[in-house]
Amino acid sequence: MLNVTAKLLLRSTFHKSIQIRLVAATAEAHHEQILQSFRTPVTNPTEHNSDHLARLYSIPKEDKTVLFQHGGLPKIFATHIKTFNETCLMVREPALDIINCLKTIDYNKPVVRFVLYGQKGTGKSLSLAHIIHYAYLNDYLIVHVPWVGNWMRRPKDNSNSETKQGFMDLNIDAAAWLLHFKTQNAKLLKNPDLKISREIHWTKRETTPKDSTLTELIEHGINRIRFASNCINILAEEIKLLSCAGLCKTLVAIDGFNAFFYPKTRVFADRREIVPPNRITLTEGFLNLTKFDWKNAAVVVTVDELVIAAEDQTSHLPRYLLGKTGFEHLDPFIPVEVTGFSKKEHQSIMDYFRERKWIQPYQGIDEELYFLSNGNPFYLLDLVKSY
Amino acid sequence: MAGINSLFKTKILLKPNTFSAIVQNGMAIFPSYYIEPIYKKEDQEALKKSGEISEYVHMPTKAALNSQTCSVSYDPILSLFTNYLMRKGQKELARNLVERSLEQVKRIQLERYHKCNSDEERAKIELNPKIIFHRAVENGKPLLQLMPVKRGGVKYQVPVPISEYKARFLSMNWLIEAGREKDRTKVRFWTQLARELVDASNNTGKVVRRKQELHKQCEANKAYAHYRWS
Repeated sequence: MLNVTAKLLLRSTFHKSIQIRLVAATAEAHHEQILQSFRTPVTNPTEHNSDHLARLYSIPKEDKTVLFQHGGLPKIFATHIKTFNETCLMVREPALDIINCLKTIDYNKPVVRFVLYGQKGTGKSLSLAHIIHYAYLNDYLIVHVPWVGNWMRRPKDNSNSETKQGFMDLNIDAAAWLLHFKTQNAKLLKNPDLKISREIHWTKRETTPKDSTLTELIEHGINRIRFASNCINILAEEIKLLSCAGLCKTLVAIDGFNAFFYPKTRVFADRREIVPPNRITLTEGFLNLTKFDWKNAAVVVTVDELVIAAEDQTSHLPRYLLGKTGFEHLDPFIPVEVTGFSKKEHQSIMDYFRERKWIQPYQGIDEELYFLSNGNPFYLLDLVKSY
Repeated sequence: MAGINSLFKTKILLKPNTFSAIVQNGMAIFPSYYIEPIYKKEDQEALKKSGEISEYVHMPTKAALNSQTCSVSYDPILSLFTNYLMRKGQKELARNLVERSLEQVKRIQLERYHKCNSDEERAKIELNPKIIFHRAVENGKPLLQLMPVKRGGVKYQVPVPISEYKARFLSMNWLIEAGREKDRTKVRFWTQLARELVDASNNTGKVVRRKQELHKQCEANKAYAHYRWS
């Protein structure tokens, strides 16, 4: 009897285009089956399994503001968040595989490196966002770089390094990143055990004493922008030491990692000479973090064509994008390919768009768009603009 | 030098008026007796069912345009608007601009939709960008236009009835001009056009005002109306 009434209710509400969640309470079992097969109520990525594949889950607002306040989500996706009034990610195979691995790997062994790769617009960054959400809820210390291209391709400023001859500092970007790191890990940084191992001399007068907390180190980097780049390198070392000591579990997530090995940056020295990434101070710290010589951590990086110059975007494979030095630096790693939408995923995203009123319910539109977009999520977003 | 001269001579020989035997239908490739193509699958099916297809089989037919498809998203009036918007043959750019402004229309309407508190208010908001576009064009169509007529050495602006085709053109052109009237650096064309489309669909905004101004002028010049025929 309840089922019948629930069905009737749902049918009538669907026509009146009332928000479906309002009646969810009356027909929990059914709304899951009939209308919302594309959505999952499980918002914790720890509980996601293969049953949730190709379904969308929404990131709670408070988590989103902590994790992605200073970037981390692609630009178009960020505008859609505002329009759709919620942040929804699809549970997809690559992210799920990595999350399962993160659950099972032995953290006493050297760090495992995962490399997400795939064609442009297939969802590498969003897979990374899913993994970061998992890490956040499982109390990992998150070292997340939203987009390395922002440093190598369009830096805010640059200046000669004071500590190292011939090196360049990107201090404003570095300070912004430190702020990003601080907001993402605000909960963990309250832990008083996270102390630095040595005294740091910035100048003759400024020092950070031994056993001061990580927060103090970060604050110093943010307040004295001159030292921000150096601060990141020191922070990287300290995080490694703390992880090895078992005081924290770390996830290093870097989007567009191959930019650290692409020689043509847009950082220029005094006489308009191009500064390669290995002569930028920031690079050192993050390369240090992606080495395998520490434990109690995991590394997930993405390699992306978009982070390098347009004329060199000829292949999406890691060997090409990382180059010889990059490949040897990461070797051995676990490659995880991110592919376009399968039929099922495409169907669920179209249902989602329809539920959010983003597209009109024309007939036969799903097949047409799958054919036109070739299963590429980014092309699909572009195509449904005027539908 | 002699070579160049001979070249010129051959050019003179090849002047188009020497081949005046071919009569052209304006700039058109197809002669005027060719019929318009029926490119929609549904239309073809309907013709097959009713048996009228036999009449069309041997008629000389124009080739369908590149942009005419049987996709569900195809809209002939929107396609016409794209062509009006196009400058210097940059069709891809024009199409992109139109698509983006429809996207913006959706964003504007969805923002309003999510702000509503009750379902009745939500039901009132139109979320289909194409319907909004059609409404905007319909609301911008003038009923009369002014035509200059010379009587006794003086030009009078005489109100005359307007054809459906011209009215649609004016409405669309005003929409495009309204989209261009904005801060050049801060606002994008598609954002401004989207705002104008939403406004015009609600019977407000620049385009509707312009239409009303034209009507007012026609009303003022009512006394000259007889110059149209006398």
